[in-house]
Amino acid sequence: MDFTYTDEEHRFRLELRAWLATALPEGWGETVFEPEDEEERYLFRRDWDKKLSSGRWAGINWPVEYGGRGATLVERGIFAEEMARAKAPESLNIIGHNLAGTTILHHGSQAQKDRFLPPIIANEEFWCQGFSEPNAGSDLASVRTKAVRKGDKYVVNGQKIWTSYAQYSQWCFALVRTDPDAPKHKGLSFLLIDMSSPGISIRPLRQISGESEFNETFFEDVEVPVENLVGQENDGWRIAMTTLAYERGPEDCLGRQVRFKQELEKLLEVCAAEPTANGVLADDPVVRQKLGRSIVEVEAMRLVALKSFSRILAGDERGPDASVIKLYWSHAAQRMNEAALDILGPAAVLSEGDDDAMAGGRFQTSFLQSKAFSIYSGSSEIQRNIIGERMLGLPR
Amino acid sequence: MNFLFNEEQTSLGETVGQVLADHAALTGPDPSRGSDAEVWAALAELGLFSLLVAEEHGGVGLGLVDLAPTIEALGAGLAPPLIASTLVATEAVNRLGDAEQRAQLLPGIAAGETAIAIASAELGRGNDPVFAECGLHDGRLTGRKIAVAGADVAQMLLVVTRTQSAPVLALVPTDAPGVTIEPHADIDPSAGLCRVTFDNVAVASAQLLGEGSPGALDTLIDLGATAQSGMAMGIAEVMLKRSVAYACEREQFGKPIGSFQAIKHRCADLAVAVEAGKATSHYAFWACSEDAEDRASAASAAKAYCGEIACNACNDAIQIHGGMGFTWELGLHRFLRRAQVIEHAVGSRAWHYERVVAETLAAREVA
Repeated sequence: MDFTYTDEEHRFRLELRAWLATALPEGWGETVFEPEDEEERYLFRRDWDKKLSSGRWAGINWPVEYGGRGATLVERGIFAEEMARAKAPESLNIIGHNLAGTTILHHGSQAQKDRFLPPIIANEEFWCQGFSEPNAGSDLASVRTKAVRKGDKYVVNGQKIWTSYAQYSQWCFALVRTDPDAPKHKGLSFLLIDMSSPGISIRPLRQISGESEFNETFFEDVEVPVENLVGQENDGWRIAMTTLAYERGPEDCLGRQVRFKQELEKLLEVCAAEPTANGVLADDPVVRQKLGRSIVEVEAMRLVALKSFSRILAGDERGPDASVIKLYWSHAAQRMNEAALDILGPAAVLSEGDDDAMAGGRFQTSFLQSKAFSIYSGSSEIQRNIIGERMLGLPR
Repeated sequence: MNFLFNEEQTSLGETVGQVLADHAALTGPDPSRGSDAEVWAALAELGLFSLLVAEEHGGVGLGLVDLAPTIEALGAGLAPPLIASTLVATEAVNRLGDAEQRAQLLPGIAAGETAIAIASAELGRGNDPVFAECGLHDGRLTGRKIAVAGADVAQMLLVVTRTQSAPVLALVPTDAPGVTIEPHADIDPSAGLCRVTFDNVAVASAQLLGEGSPGALDTLIDLGATAQSGMAMGIAEVMLKRSVAYACEREQFGKPIGSFQAIKHRCADLAVAVEAGKATSHYAFWACSEDAEDRASAASAAKAYCGEIACNACNDAIQIHGGMGFTWELGLHRFLRRAQVIEHAVGSRAWHYERVVAETLAAREVA
């Protein structure tokens, strides 16, 4: 066991830290923050993504030949830590980098790699994910969106749901049914779909947070060139499993942990400053117990991810580990958000825009947003099935 | 960066686990101390007590982190807590003892001839393991400690006490005049918990460990809390394994109960908790070994969180085993009982969460 860093890793950290100091606006995180308006915020994040690309800080783990730095897992950990330290904005193209790009790197043809990877790493093309459908949620393999081969094209008809960022995306990777007669896992294919194709329409869905990050996406006779099929026809399930392993993996967890830690930092700041009858919130022993547990759990998210990193570095396959990590961070983060509202007392109910709200009402927004954690990228119930059956060997 | 144990560390833990498994009484349904002496002798023969001792004093010179899997095995095998307390005291002597104390104590420890019980808890102090009423004045120690594991068979006591001005750690032989050791009636009779009364016991300054070092007490707390977290995770892991094994074998409604999501999901949640707890505990071991900046908060985080996880794991295991789980015969109660001993050793959950917050807020002010 060794948590020290090599000289090279240390240089990597310093280089990133120096770059962040110049890339972020002056006063960032102190007096300058992200725009409050949803649309403006997404545009801001898109611009930040482009800035990351211009500094070669996007997709750092990708091979150098596709514009990455070939960063090691350790360097990715450092990256996450430094982003946290600088309170850097969230990336908008996470789906492009972590899911689309990674899946294409694993299963794409050379032509697909050449076509799709450079604009992802340059953050010129943003991606969304077309997996879930109204009747294919936890039972993902029962997707009904059909793709029928006609000459050198597939014709796609159907509906996807919960497609985050569809409105900002140029591309969508989708799981579609190419063989309706095969057993449900065996008739699926993995298609890359141009979001500007005729026949695609998007209807935003309003989330419990009031935001509209996700959408319903409809496909009506959408033509997709055959060269946009990833892997073999009807081999889409296997490919989708790669996508999911990265969606739920330790890299994803480390990136999120950064955000949760920032949230917790903010909460500590509020607690240390907010007056009560006998001092400040942070003097209250009950508040301190809640804070203590949240501090420990947010740190444990990082440690659980690092453990998994180390196993992968030692040559282990990516397996149900990913489900353990996802199940852990999603509920731990929800507990932290619950604790935050609990601690804020009567002001907890005041929202963004209210003069009396604490920290601009951000804890309330986070609390509402956190309800999605245990549902998306595989509900907690599905993760528990995976852990129970594949890791613990319990019968089906 | 590597967050895994190497082969030596892992196999050391496995070996200790096997030695403990050879003594079935340790985890049998009836709490007993009948095999404790044999277990101690077997582990001493294996060289366990020499591992943390420097070579110049007849030891191997390993660090605390090297023993993390071993301490988990001690927890999993319900080994007498005196074994872990001796290891913690060894490391405390390594770090806090002067040259003379090290030369005097370490060879005996390495040979397995000096068992050291840690006397910290007192009545009337809430759950604070730091503040001692038990006082040392004019070279005389007076006061009463409770829940001192293994005091009745140990050769030495490491006592948290205080002078007029500051807390101090004193090494007191169990047979010193004025020391009275009585077994408690308690939840886990296999742990050997004792009440220790000091009545005007003579303590020379050569018996004070880390005298004048302001961090001495924190060092002992961090080492102790970390070791307890390791034993807690040993228990939690056994509870997971036994629950899964039973869920695969026990049938109801014509199927193994592990096929029902009510059971399967409980096992999965338990597995996740074990993973998170172990990561937290392992980090604390590393932070102690390396004297990392965040040693105190890492140790307290591990103690609080792993204690909580172990207690919950025992609850889950008993529930999953149904009526059988509640029988004396099956023996799950042994783990439930020991988990309570661990939970209340070296400061409670609440005290350690509080310490995490204090450390975190202090670090924020510095930054």
